[in-house]
Amino acid sequence: MSSRKSRSRQTGASMFTEDQINDLVHQLHRLLPELGNTRRSGKVSASKVLQETCSYIRNLNKEVDDLSERLSQLLESTDSAQAALIRSLLMQ
Amino acid sequence: MESVSPVSNQLLQPTTSSSSDRSRRKRKKKSPPSVPSSPSPSASLQKWRSEKQQQIYSTKLVRALRELRISQPSSSSSSIPGGGRAVREVADRALAVAARGKTLWSRAILSKAVKLKFRKQKRQRISNPATSPAITGSIRSKKQRATVMRLKAKGLPAVQRKVKTLSRLVPGCRKQTLPVVLEETTDYIAAMEMQIRTMTAILSAVSSQPPPPPPPGHEGGQTHMLG
Repeated sequence: MSSRKSRSRQTGASMFTEDQINDLVHQLHRLLPELGNTRRSGKVSASKVLQETCSYIRNLNKEVDDLSERLSQLLESTDSAQAALIRSLLMQ
Repeated sequence: MESVSPVSNQLLQPTTSSSSDRSRRKRKKKSPPSVPSSPSPSASLQKWRSEKQQQIYSTKLVRALRELRISQPSSSSSSIPGGGRAVREVADRALAVAARGKTLWSRAILSKAVKLKFRKQKRQRISNPATSPAITGSIRSKKQRATVMRLKAKGLPAVQRKVKTLSRLVPGCRKQTLPVVLEETTDYIAAMEMQIRTMTAILSAVSSQPPPPPPPGHEGGQTHMLG
């Protein structure tokens, strides 16, 4: 995957071939959590993959937001013991 | 209060030794075939899943959080929504730094922070905003700008709409071609998963309450940092 074919003949629109795009879509699909999929690596509709990707990214975003909320609440409770814990985490 | 810290130290010590052992073992395994020259997506995904990377990120994050904490001295409850947002931005910036500038989204996140600093500090000077588009302009010139439209089989409007939505979700990919968006998405998802793992670990290490478990069907596997 290191070499990229440049300038397909069709239009000046995309520099990458369709196969590579399909490959990328498949890889993305493999990354997604297999929520009830029976590993259909043959037929994967790009639209469905993209939709699941969008919702998964939104999920991840929400999780990160939740976690950062809790972290901020932790930080705001100015506790000397917690500061010591954070410092000890640093000393790994 | 005094009893908490030795207990937590005990909790942390075996984990640190085990995690550092694991990272040492992983380093030995990785050193012979260390030829990461080809920028294949699978190599970058492995990078986000390695424990070493998680430790690097957690150290960065904790340091950044400490600085954030110092700047917020004993704030009242009114700044809780503001505090959560600030922590998210700090975490994102640390994640972007951990990406080492190789990906679009990391550069976009960092340039957002830089742009804000410029606008806040030097409002009177007109020439300064010219520097931030220069950064993004040079990056844009490297890849020829082709719109997401006009691909042969993927010309379906439904697919195009979804690709556009996806590109809006990933930072810095709004005007990129389809393959670029896909690549950035894979890296972004892997990075966010690591971010979530790290923040969960920090939360469970610092607080006594265990955080809720991550959603099932998680391919990346649980973190081993806390044994």
